[in-house]
Amino acid sequence: MWKYFLRRVLQMIPVVLGTTLLIYALVFALPGDPVVAMFGDKPVNPTIAAQIRAEYHLDQPFIIQYLYFLKNAFTLDFGNTLRGGRPVIDVMAAAFPVTIKLGLMAFVFEGIFGVIFGIVSGLKKGKWYDSVILIVSLLLISVPTFVTGFLMQYFLGVKWRIFPVTAGANPGFIDLLMPAMVLGSASMAYIIRLTRTEVASNRTLDYVRTARAKGLSNRKVITNHILRNSLIPVITYLGADLGALMGGAMISERIFNINGIGNTLYKGILQGESNLVVSIVTVLVLIFVVCNLLVDMLYAVLDPRIRYE
Amino acid sequence: MTSPNTPLPGQERYVAPVEETPLHAVDAIDENAPATSMWADAWRTLRKNPLFIISALVILFIAFVALFPRIFTSVDPNYCTLDYSRNLPSAGHPFGYDMQGCDIYSRVIYGTRTSLTVGIATTLLVIIFGGLIGAIAGYFGGWVDALLSRLVDIFYAVPLLLGAIVVLQMFRTSTSIWKIVLVMAMFGWVSIARIARSSVLEAKNLEFNTASTALGSTPARNLFRHIIPNALAPVLVVGTTSLASYIVLEATLSFLGLGMPSGTVSWGGDISSAQTMLRTQPMILFYPSVALAITALAFIMLGDAVRDALDPKSRTE
Amino acid sequence: MTENTNIPAPLLEVKDLQVEFNTSAGNVKAVRDATFNVYPGQWVAIVGESGSGKSTSAMAALGLLPGTGHITGGSIKLEGEEISHYTPKQFEAIRGLKMGLVPQDPMSNLNPVYRIDAQIKESLIANNIDITREQRIALAEGLELTAAERAAKENVHDADDELFLGSAQREELLAAAKEAGKEIVSEEDMKFWEETWTPGSVTRWNVRHDMIQAGISDPKATEIAAKYVTGSTMADRIAGLLDEAGLPDAAMRARQYPHEYSGGMRQRALIAMGLAARPRLLIADEPTSALDVTVQKRILDHLHTLTDSLGTAVLFITHDLGLAAERAQHIVVMYKGQIVESGPSLDVLQHPQHPYTKRLVSAAPSLASKRMESTKERAEVHTKQAEAGHPENVNDTIISVKNLVREFKVPGRKELFKAVDDVSFDVKRGTTLAIVGESGSGKSTVANMVLHLLDPTKGTVTYEGQDIHSFDAKQLLDFRRHVQPVFQNPYGSLDPTYTIFRSIEEPLRIHKIGDAKSREARVRELLDMVEMPQSVMGRYPNELSGGQRQRIAVARAMALNPDVIVADEAVSALDVLVQDQVLHLLNDLQAERGLTYLFITHDLAVVRQIADEVVVMQHGKLVEHATTDEVFNNPQTQYTRDLLDAIPGGKLELGLDM
Repeated sequence: MWKYFLRRVLQMIPVVLGTTLLIYALVFALPGDPVVAMFGDKPVNPTIAAQIRAEYHLDQPFIIQYLYFLKNAFTLDFGNTLRGGRPVIDVMAAAFPVTIKLGLMAFVFEGIFGVIFGIVSGLKKGKWYDSVILIVSLLLISVPTFVTGFLMQYFLGVKWRIFPVTAGANPGFIDLLMPAMVLGSASMAYIIRLTRTEVASNRTLDYVRTARAKGLSNRKVITNHILRNSLIPVITYLGADLGALMGGAMISERIFNINGIGNTLYKGILQGESNLVVSIVTVLVLIFVVCNLLVDMLYAVLDPRIRYE
Repeated sequence: MTSPNTPLPGQERYVAPVEETPLHAVDAIDENAPATSMWADAWRTLRKNPLFIISALVILFIAFVALFPRIFTSVDPNYCTLDYSRNLPSAGHPFGYDMQGCDIYSRVIYGTRTSLTVGIATTLLVIIFGGLIGAIAGYFGGWVDALLSRLVDIFYAVPLLLGAIVVLQMFRTSTSIWKIVLVMAMFGWVSIARIARSSVLEAKNLEFNTASTALGSTPARNLFRHIIPNALAPVLVVGTTSLASYIVLEATLSFLGLGMPSGTVSWGGDISSAQTMLRTQPMILFYPSVALAITALAFIMLGDAVRDALDPKSRTE
Repeated sequence: MTENTNIPAPLLEVKDLQVEFNTSAGNVKAVRDATFNVYPGQWVAIVGESGSGKSTSAMAALGLLPGTGHITGGSIKLEGEEISHYTPKQFEAIRGLKMGLVPQDPMSNLNPVYRIDAQIKESLIANNIDITREQRIALAEGLELTAAERAAKENVHDADDELFLGSAQREELLAAAKEAGKEIVSEEDMKFWEETWTPGSVTRWNVRHDMIQAGISDPKATEIAAKYVTGSTMADRIAGLLDEAGLPDAAMRARQYPHEYSGGMRQRALIAMGLAARPRLLIADEPTSALDVTVQKRILDHLHTLTDSLGTAVLFITHDLGLAAERAQHIVVMYKGQIVESGPSLDVLQHPQHPYTKRLVSAAPSLASKRMESTKERAEVHTKQAEAGHPENVNDTIISVKNLVREFKVPGRKELFKAVDDVSFDVKRGTTLAIVGESGSGKSTVANMVLHLLDPTKGTVTYEGQDIHSFDAKQLLDFRRHVQPVFQNPYGSLDPTYTIFRSIEEPLRIHKIGDAKSREARVRELLDMVEMPQSVMGRYPNELSGGQRQRIAVARAMALNPDVIVADEAVSALDVLVQDQVLHLLNDLQAERGLTYLFITHDLAVVRQIADEVVVMQHGKLVEHATTDEVFNNPQTQYTRDLLDAIPGGKLELGLDM
């Protein structure tokens, strides 16, 4: 199994390099000169401009710039924001905690409700509550998250005043509850559908019948055989989604006005802060890649067949 | 004492009367059964599936609206006067007016075309490009597969929304529907490529390919005549479902201000501009959202129905 | 119940059983008025083709009907109690404990995520089994003993005599026994102890009995046995169960996952599982049909000994009449959901009365004794060939395989794996050469090299004197015209997206033969040749049965008028009657057209029906090559003898009425 883990880690390296290169290339292929942008409306001083270019290695070929970026990223030195000159790492450090909190809450929400509803639905196919669960999950997938967000904000926040309408500066658990539900809603729907399909198809497998033939009680058959095996792909999906949630937090953060990483990224994009954008996206992608790696390893733990491939 | 050769009670020799158990020809063929291919079989299943009937009808209707918006409204969606701003529904303007004083109903009708175009064009691009890459990787294997799979891994590591945001921000000032399609396809092809690869791998290992080779068929012939047709089904199913997600994604990008150029009538853009009115007039946000949701829902349901028909194992009903 | 203990009560009594499935096309009757009994300790076989309702009947008894299946009539009694209307909860109570199951497919019946020991443990725990001692079935041994005798026998040992040996005490026991038996007990006996005193399987009275048999005095033996055989742990019992099922290194193997087991080992694990709670009745649903014949024989032999010693009755479900007759005392023959004939095994086999049973008996390859006679005249070929200027020459070699070697890389290992190791043989024109071997023998690899689908590492394959692996593209295409394959899997070898017409037409298209019209005419002709109606042309493979698809595959292979057909397990997946039909078809085609067959199979029984010469392969090597009669009458190697021995029902006398 350790060999498998090692191989997966090694396989991750070219992916990380390739992905960061891709992002870097995309962002720096942007039209407009970032140095010129720094001067804003003021006239450009050629000497200072050249100085800045040298400092940021902007006078070097693209690939060298990328390598510098990579080297700096490894030492967590992402440079400064173009406007205001704050260290990017500080900006991220200020924004990440709340997003991580939000992401984890969404993760727990979608995991618990997605799996429970999925199991109920899969075990009782065709019952009325199965149909209800199915329709609700279909709706959650087809309605864009921001619409779900607006609707929840309007009904739960504005109209019925169950939750705070916006999260504010230093959001607590209650403040983040609704944003987390919004963030996790679409994934929850996918998890419901996935769990349901898995449970329903695993129910008819041969080894489940064999387990029944052994004299196992229905409850044991369901927990030890049907669920244990059905949840493997669900857990895989959940793990991969944890990484994606951080990136997807942007919408939820926009609606509920949370100063997390998504909002910071959004503002960075609007203000043309390419350095900030590339740094945040790189970190988000790294989180995503690491989550996927962890999922692969978890998968190997859960399914013994994988380890020996 | 009974002899061991004497049958026990209930185990005496029994022969069923031949009249009651008529013998049939070995391996007889029912010549009256209708001819069915996998697709025809799927079609027969689909025809009886209410999920399919409803979604297909809705999609046909949506396509009709997109093609002939004039049949449904005579109002110009871009004719807006602030005088009508936030006016309530009236005769000929069943949904009322939005902030800018544009007719909401007309904008919902005309927005159909944008969303559908984006969804269909992106899906086509993704299926062609992702399908091809996946098929090549799966079919040739070896270093080709290793290389392409790493490429897929690299793009896969960038979440669709994040990637689209990063690229689209550079077109912020000069965006167009085709740029949005291209950008979504750029980050969307990987999921199709993965599925295409695995289904080509599966189809490649089926015995009929070996059989064809032994009949004298070339590898290229095998790929195009046997493997691709057999690997198509899962790609199409995922394609249909992802069409819905592209429509939703386009709206999300519009919401973030990275979507359609301001001149284009689109649901996402309208939902986005309605958000400021949420507390006072939620209905402005409601109409385009419902249109968007119905469209997305129809394609997801269609995808589900097609998947069920092609793969009875994963029945949803 | 009468006082007459000589006639025991049936363990399982099925009467007028009806089972239906609800499908979209309406209700389908899967079982109609099935009536049969199973007595304690007896093996009863239900024989039938796929879809005959044989498995459905058994699953109805277990309360495990799949999908929409449900009992619509009749009764099922277990130990006199009506169980056909049991609730799921009631079934849970009797499953495992009273009725066990050994399912058909060893690959899909073990949960891949649990170790084998965990899966057996479940069975022991769910049924609340005392793992320290044997749960011997109180046999109604009335067939042999009077009530008084039985009482006397039962008093011989008390409950503690059924305690298992624990692994912790095994060495001490052996040492004590050897000490006590010094100079009395022979080396052989001591060795026998070491081999058979398995923890978790051997009981106190077994040990005592063994010691007394070896010469140790009764009191001493009783004392040692009582001192050291004091019950087993869970792990011991699990290993003991696996060992009883014939799994080597059971204690170590128990910690492995199913995917680390071979098919035969999995089947043994399933047998251990089915018998773990010592059920009164074991339902064995084609327990060995997926396995090699020699493995099948070993496992069934083992199961037989085991169930005999435990007194377990077995309801044995099989498609193989020979196997059924060999193993069971009573046979029930099912056909399309109905029982057409039943009775004592040999009687049914030797005097089949229902036309269906007669058909089965005459088609069963294991019961055949000589090469199939073609209904069509072989002489036809001779004249045809003479006309064409090809005087028949029996020694004319068409394909020659010389010193063929094929190596494969095995992932994770340095050395290459030799799948085929120095194999040479000639195939004579117009004859059938069969390559026989079990899985992993390399027989299919040879076939693929003969078909030019795989390059040999060393050695040559020549066709008409030319080395086929030196062919250029044009020569290869020409070679493919003359040498055609028919593959094993009737579900995989036809493209599901092609109509039957397109499938058969494909070779004609590839080789650019004729125009659309002449090709269609040719396809019609080919369909006639394989006795399929022309109406199937517009159909797709998924509408045809396995045998029909295989006939289409034969038609496709015949399209180019080949000289040689390489049939790789072409009939293995088919039901007996269908298999018989396809074999006859192949035989007739050979007679009519002077075809040469290279016939790859694991089934020696089929070989006798179709082959002129036999090549036996084992572990990639050729172990025997002779004419079919010689191989069957005078096998030269032990391996061939084992293979012959393993043919089910091979030694039964039968068909006296036919």
